[in-house]
Amino acid sequence: MRAFDRLFEQSSRSLASRTSRRSLLAVLGQALTGAALLPLLPIDRGSQARAADATAKTPGPENCEYWKYCAIDGFLCACCGGTSTSCPPGTGSSPITWVGTCHNPGDGRDYIVSYNDCCGKASCGTCECNRNEREKPLYRPSRNNDLNWCMANANADYHCTVSVIVGVAEK
Amino acid sequence: MQSFPRWAAALGLAVSSAALCATPTPPPPLPAEHLTVEKLPARGPHWVYLVDYAFDNEIDSRVYLYDADVHRRLGQIDAGFLPGFALSPDGTMSVVATTYFARGGHGARTDVVEFTDTATLTTSREIVLPTKRLHAVPTLFNVAYSSDGRLLYVSYVTPAASFGVLDPARGTVLAEIDTAGCMLVIPSGANRVSSLCESGRLLTVTLDAQGHEAARSMSAPFFDADRDPVFVQGISTARGFAFLSFLGQVHEVDLTGAEPVFVPPWSLIGSGEQGWRPGGEQVGAIHRALGKLFVQMHRGGEGTHKDGGSELWVFDLASHARLARWPLKAAGLKPVVALEVSQDATPVLFAATEAADLAIIDAGSGHIRHVERRLGQTPWQLLTP
Repeated sequence: MRAFDRLFEQSSRSLASRTSRRSLLAVLGQALTGAALLPLLPIDRGSQARAADATAKTPGPENCEYWKYCAIDGFLCACCGGTSTSCPPGTGSSPITWVGTCHNPGDGRDYIVSYNDCCGKASCGTCECNRNEREKPLYRPSRNNDLNWCMANANADYHCTVSVIVGVAEK
Repeated sequence: MQSFPRWAAALGLAVSSAALCATPTPPPPLPAEHLTVEKLPARGPHWVYLVDYAFDNEIDSRVYLYDADVHRRLGQIDAGFLPGFALSPDGTMSVVATTYFARGGHGARTDVVEFTDTATLTTSREIVLPTKRLHAVPTLFNVAYSSDGRLLYVSYVTPAASFGVLDPARGTVLAEIDTAGCMLVIPSGANRVSSLCESGRLLTVTLDAQGHEAARSMSAPFFDADRDPVFVQGISTARGFAFLSFLGQVHEVDLTGAEPVFVPPWSLIGSGEQGWRPGGEQVGAIHRALGKLFVQMHRGGEGTHKDGGSELWVFDLASHARLARWPLKAAGLKPVVALEVSQDATPVLFAATEAADLAIIDAGSGHIRHVERRLGQTPWQLLTP
């Protein structure tokens, strides 16, 4: 996990101080396309995360304490007509995201989770969840949950947030 | 239809007469009323603008003007979706930088700054922006005036970071300045804008007379974003801004010169107080003339930086000595998420809680003078004129 963090953060810091806005946009656009690009990063995709997801004894996707929500700040799409990995009908998913690293007590592993916003309708307004493990301020956008990640969508209104496992965080 | 029996009518009349004799003469009728529109009174010393992000229905944010001396809401400024809010240096104008969707929750997006006269609360002018405006939680640096009020700066994030330079008098956008990944518009002087960078540095851009970039410089790092990041909610000081860190360091930045000067950081946390941290959405307030810093503090670990404070701690900025520690829970207040202080000689603290209550607190004694219940929904920013 730390190695991944360092890799991501050092490259971002370096970029921030060296690049023009246009090239930064291009790189950020790639780097922040969490679910699409992160599989290329050093994470183990061979494990079976869903085999040890929520159980009867642990909170599920409509509960803010669900393990995947460790760095979410918004409304849980699972309460709004979607699921923890799908947007509600009629909304659009944000292509750019922030990521968190969450510990799954079910299998003892840490996972990289991409938090995508679902966009194009007014606030869902239910199941607000604000958790901030390893969350960073605005100047580190890839780890920040205060931004409206619908910002680049054709319809930029924020509705709710999903959490998508990208892979296991390397120790 | 059968007519009403005469004997019943006579009986009714007799009963009515008896009742009339027993009742006092009714008061004269109320006079006719005239519909008017209220005018704001002269500005009071304890007015505060409360920015309600209305998180459950974010397209309907609003700013409430409240008078803490008479415990009364004076008026409202509409604020749209995830707004930035600022007051002009002379206090005559407020500006909301916001976004509207043409059909309420959807439809074509318009980013705009709207100007509202602070004496009348009339929104009279606007400048339409490129659809790049920062959509995020409130800070003093989402939208900000130059010190002479001639320029207005607006943060853009697409997610590429830049800012717009506006001429509020002419109603025009003068320029867009690339900030190479650094965020927000921290104003200083008549023509300088600094931005916070992930590297812990400040980027400072100097503008020419046309509002275009004339020069830029990058400072040395003044905080470590990995180990102990600073909150982006800076607090205005006499010479610049103070930035608190997640772990309770105070980083004062002097922005009176061409280059920022960083005062050696100091800690809010004394020995034996480990585990206490600042937190919330507006993490502290400074009375500039008295040199006092007020911070809401909570007990917590990693990831609690947005938790509200269960106590208010008061510090002397010159000596760094803690002057007071005021518990809030015993007084029945929920954790405080936003804090501001009036700048007059007998100041009051404004403390907005996670229950959306606004507490009015004597800034000298900590005595809670009044609690206004449910002022809005998510009151995340407070500004004093």
